[in-house]
Amino acid sequence: MFDANLKEPDPGAEGSRRREEPTGLAKLLRLVSLGEILRGLSLTMKHFFTPSVTRQYPTEKREPFAGARGLHALVRDATGEPACVGCCLCAAMCPSECIHIYTSDGENHEKILDRYEIDTLRCVFCGFCVEACPYGAVVMSDHYEYSGYTREEFYYTKDRLLDNWDRYFGGEKGQDYLDRFWRPRREDIGEARRSAMKVEGDDE
Amino acid sequence: MTLVESATLVGIIVAVITVTMLHVAYAVYFERKVVAHMQARLGPMRVGPHGLLQPIADGVKLFFKEDLIPSTADKSIYFIAPVITAFAALASLAVVPFTDSFAIAHINIGLLYILALSSLGAYGVILGGWSSNSKYAFLGSLRSAAQVISYEIAMGLSLIGVVLLAGSTDLATIVRAQSELPFIVPQFIGFFVFLMAAIAETNRLPFDLPEAETELVAGYFTEYTGFRFSLFFVGEYAGMFVMSALATVCFLGGWHGPDFWIFAMVPPVVWFMLKVYALIFFYFWIRATLPRYRYDQLMGLGWKVFIPLALVNVAITGLLKAL
Repeated sequence: MFDANLKEPDPGAEGSRRREEPTGLAKLLRLVSLGEILRGLSLTMKHFFTPSVTRQYPTEKREPFAGARGLHALVRDATGEPACVGCCLCAAMCPSECIHIYTSDGENHEKILDRYEIDTLRCVFCGFCVEACPYGAVVMSDHYEYSGYTREEFYYTKDRLLDNWDRYFGGEKGQDYLDRFWRPRREDIGEARRSAMKVEGDDE
Repeated sequence: MTLVESATLVGIIVAVITVTMLHVAYAVYFERKVVAHMQARLGPMRVGPHGLLQPIADGVKLFFKEDLIPSTADKSIYFIAPVITAFAALASLAVVPFTDSFAIAHINIGLLYILALSSLGAYGVILGGWSSNSKYAFLGSLRSAAQVISYEIAMGLSLIGVVLLAGSTDLATIVRAQSELPFIVPQFIGFFVFLMAAIAETNRLPFDLPEAETELVAGYFTEYTGFRFSLFFVGEYAGMFVMSALATVCFLGGWHGPDFWIFAMVPPVVWFMLKVYALIFFYFWIRATLPRYRYDQLMGLGWKVFIPLALVNVAITGLLKAL
């Protein structure tokens, strides 16, 4: 609704025949004729009668865009344990260095994931961790409404991230979301290597 | 004057000031709503239905705010400045003829009285900026001094035409002289100059250089908080009401309305308020449309356009009157 009025004039055409600043009587006439001001007034009056674009947030919520990147979650595998193997690729890729992973050696020299923590106050929600993970063990939900009074509330530990998985990817909707946007790589390992994000032509 | 008469007068004064204070509170709400809708926003919506209780909440907030006084301020002047501004604006209401019979004071120099008090209001602004001992406040008050002096002349001159036509400076007489034809028709130049000068006198956009937020923090009331700050606010919005009332009285025919069909049944005071609020809406409309003038543009406009225009208007009116 704006483009009709705010369209930039073609700079090439306008620049060549730019008007001289009027002087003397012509200047006075232009000042008092108020042509420009009246045009401005009519524009604001037109907008006075067009509906406003405001969304009244807490009462009027917008559905997040398909594939929106919100709060993180750690994927549970079939045994109920985190699918993460502690390879630290996500932490290495993270531009804001907000993923902290601590592992230890198990009895048979396997890697044990002791802690997997995301400081969401530092996170820029770029989604690189999701793309980096070879096992699709970390995903992002479309949940964005989380607030709190302390920094600790935004520091997500392994248990809280697994809890996020249950909460935001538990139901049918969550499963659908996961399949469409964050399909875990481990399902793709047998197939040809594809991107974890299937976006184009997929979301309608 | 008997006791009953004085009691009635006090009652009337209290009523008018109460109504004006409510007007000030809701003019702020009205302004926020109008400007918001002109910018495709909604404005205050959360306090009460459609934000209707917002002015009350604001008032309560201002009342309980801490009263900060800069340690280097000139205390006595700092205290008196907002009172002067609010007083000048409220005292102007005394002579505004709301209807044929209702005005707090019937004096025959009503026009001069309002002009004098509107100049007096500028003292509050200048002293407030001076006594704050802050550079932004000081710059704001300097600008205000220059602006008010420049535009006062244009404003006075634009009203001379009206005085010539009505043959009186009594506001009620001026309105009665317009029972046939409002003075906006013969005095359209005067009306235009008056309207612009009134915007400059009340420090409204696009002539709000004394408080220019983008350059001077808040201009002359930068250092004021809480209730003293709100007194400046009262001064500004009541001043806007007085200026609109003066324009209504001098150019738009005051309490007169169209004299036919159901329009004849509308009480005069409603006509008066309708015209005043239409002008106040115009103020908001201008505010939503125009950016602030540069300082030299403001001065140039005042001295080189409005004053000559007003002088020409006086000359033409005088000639036509003499013929």
